[in-house]
Amino acid sequence: MNLQVSTKNLSQGFVIGVVLTTFGIAILIASFQIDKDPGGGWGARIFPMFGSITLLMAGILELRFGLRNTQTKPDYIPSNILVLFGLAIGYIFFIGKIGYLLSTGLVAPLIFLVFGVKNLIGLFVSAVLCPVAYHLIFFELLGVFPPYGKWFDLLNVIQGN
Amino acid sequence: MEIFNALAGVITNPMLMLWVLAAAIIGMIVGAIPGLTASAAIAMLLPLTFYMEPLSALAFLYVIGKSGRYGGSIAAILFNTPGTAASAATQIDGYPLAQKGMASKAMKVATLSSVIGDFIGEVLLIFGVGLIAAIALSLGPPELFTIYFAAFVVISSVIGKSIIRGLASAALRVLIKMIGIDPISSEERFTFGNFDMTNGISLVPLMIGVFVLGEVFSQLEARKNKIKIINKNDSENNAINRLSWIDFKPCIPHIIRSSFIGSFIGVLPGMGSSIAAFVAYGEGKRRAKNMNEWGSGALEGVAAPEAANNAVSGPSMAPLLTLGIPGSTIGAILVGVFLIHGIPIGPTLFITSRELVFNLFACGLIGIALYGLIGYFCAPFLGRFITKIPRDVLYPIIFLTSFIAAYASRGSLFDVLVMAVAGLAGWLMKKYDFNPAAFIISFVLAGGAEETLRQSLLLSDNGLFIFVTRPVALGFLFIAFFALFIRMRSLTHQTRKPRFNDV
Repeated sequence: MNLQVSTKNLSQGFVIGVVLTTFGIAILIASFQIDKDPGGGWGARIFPMFGSITLLMAGILELRFGLRNTQTKPDYIPSNILVLFGLAIGYIFFIGKIGYLLSTGLVAPLIFLVFGVKNLIGLFVSAVLCPVAYHLIFFELLGVFPPYGKWFDLLNVIQGN
Repeated sequence: MEIFNALAGVITNPMLMLWVLAAAIIGMIVGAIPGLTASAAIAMLLPLTFYMEPLSALAFLYVIGKSGRYGGSIAAILFNTPGTAASAATQIDGYPLAQKGMASKAMKVATLSSVIGDFIGEVLLIFGVGLIAAIALSLGPPELFTIYFAAFVVISSVIGKSIIRGLASAALRVLIKMIGIDPISSEERFTFGNFDMTNGISLVPLMIGVFVLGEVFSQLEARKNKIKIINKNDSENNAINRLSWIDFKPCIPHIIRSSFIGSFIGVLPGMGSSIAAFVAYGEGKRRAKNMNEWGSGALEGVAAPEAANNAVSGPSMAPLLTLGIPGSTIGAILVGVFLIHGIPIGPTLFITSRELVFNLFACGLIGIALYGLIGYFCAPFLGRFITKIPRDVLYPIIFLTSFIAAYASRGSLFDVLVMAVAGLAGWLMKKYDFNPAAFIISFVLAGGAEETLRQSLLLSDNGLFIFVTRPVALGFLFIAFFALFIRMRSLTHQTRKPRFNDV
C-alpha cells in the first residue's frame, strides 16, 4: 500500500480527517487535565473524554476513507469569504476601541461594497443610516447597554460625557 | 377544555394577537426568501424577545417557525429555489405548475395543505403531550441518559449525507458546551485561564453565527447565481388559477395521510420537516392514481409534501416539552427562550407552567389560521414583493444585524467574536457536509445528557452496566444502534445502486 501522500493528491476526506484527529487528540489530552471527583469517580472529566474519543474516532475513519478516495479535492476558501470574515473580526476589534457608532459607520459601506453595491451615494447613506438605525432600535428603544470604545467613543461626545 | 380557555384568553389579548400576526407575516417573508430560513430569523430575533413577556416571546418565535415552514413553498413554486430544505419536495411539482401559468393555484393548494397538516399536528400535540409527560415523569437518570444518547445518535446520523461527519458535528458541539465551569463540581474545563470562557459559550451567538452569518457567507459565495422568476401573468389565466372543489378533492386523501406521516416523523428528535416532506411525497406518488403526472405538475404532488412539512411543527415540540429534548433547530432555540425566562423544561413543565403551555398551543392554532388566511389571498403578491428586495442590500443588513443581535443577548463583545467564528464554521460545515443542525441540537442535549450520565454513575457506583440492566434504558440503546445500523445500510445501498433520474 502506498502511503506517500503528496499535496497534489490529498483528498478532502484526508484533510478533514487530519483536522478532526488533531482536535480529538488535543482535546483528549486537555480532558485528562480536568480533575476527577474527590471520591475517585470520573466526575467532570467523563463527558469531555467521551466527546474527544468520538471526535478522534471520527477523524481516524475520515482519514481511512480519505486515503482510499482521492477524487474529491479540498477546496480553498474563496477570497471574498476571507475578506468578509476579516471585516467581521476587524469590526469587533473597532467596536471595542472606537465604539459602536463610528465602527459601524466605517464597516457598513465596506460590507455593502463586498456584496457588489458600488453606488457612492448608497454607500454614504449606509455609513450614516446603519449606525443611527441600529443605535435607535437596540440602544434607545430596547435599552441594551451599548459597547463603549476604549480609545474614543462618539456616543460620549454626543451625550456630553 | 383547557385549550378552549386558552384560545379565549389569547383572542381577548390584543397585544399577544399582534405578536402572533407579526410572527405569521415575518415567518412567511423569511421562509420565502431563498437562503433565509425560519431558524435564521428566529436566531436573529431571539435577543429581541428577552425584552418581551414569556408567552409573547415563545408565541412569536413558535409561530415564525410555523409560517416560515409554509413560506418556503412560495419560493419553491415561484423561483424554483426552495426557501427551506423541506420545501424542496414541493418544488418538484410546484415549479412545473408555475411554468404552466398555474402558480396561484399551486400556492393555494400549498396553503390549504400546510394549514390542514399543521392543524392536525397541533391537535395531536395538544392531546398527546400530556400522556408523554406523565410517562416521562416516571423515568430515572439512566433511562433519561439513554434517551439523550439515542437522540444524539439519531440526529447525528440521520441528518446530512455523512454519518461520520454528523457524529463529529455532535461531538464538537458537546465539547464546546463543556467550556466553562462544571455546574456540579465547579471545576474549570477548557477555559485556558480566559475569564470570558469561564462563563461558557452561549447558545444565542452560536446559533446566530451558524444559521445567520453562515448563510450570509453562503450567499456571498453564490452571489452570481441569479434567481429566475416565472413571469407568466396569472391574471391572464384567472380561469385556470381558480381552485375548485373538483381540483382540491383528489388532494384530500394525500393531505390527511401526509399529515399523519409528518406528525409521526415530527415526534422523533432530529427527523425534521425535509425528511417528512420527502417520505410523504414518495408515499403519495406510490399510491397515486395519476402517478405519471407527478413530477410534471400534479396538484397532489404539492399537497402531500406541504401537509407533511407543516405537520412536523406541532409534534416536534413533544420531546422538547416533555423531556427537554429539542426535535428540531427551532425547538433548540425555544429551549433558550424557556431558560432565559426562568421556565424549566421537561416533564415538570406541565405541573409548573401548564397554563403557559396551553396558551402557547392556542397561539400556535391562531398563528396557523392567520398565515393560512394571509397566504391564501396574498402569497402571489408576497412572492413578487420578495423578488423586488435586492439581495445586495438585504444580506449586508442581515450581516450587521447579526452582530448587534449577538451583542444584545448578554452585552458581551466576546459573544460577538464567538458568533463571527461560528459563522465561518457554519459555512464550512455546510460546504463539507457536516451537520449544522446536529451541531446546534447537541448543544442543548449536552447539558442534560452529562447531568443524567453522572447521576447514573453515582447510582451505580461508577458502573456502566446500569444502562443494560434496566429494560427501558436498554430499549433506547437498542433503538440508537438499530437506527445507526439502518442508516449505514441505506447509505451503503445508495452507493451500490445505479443512479436513476426519477424522483
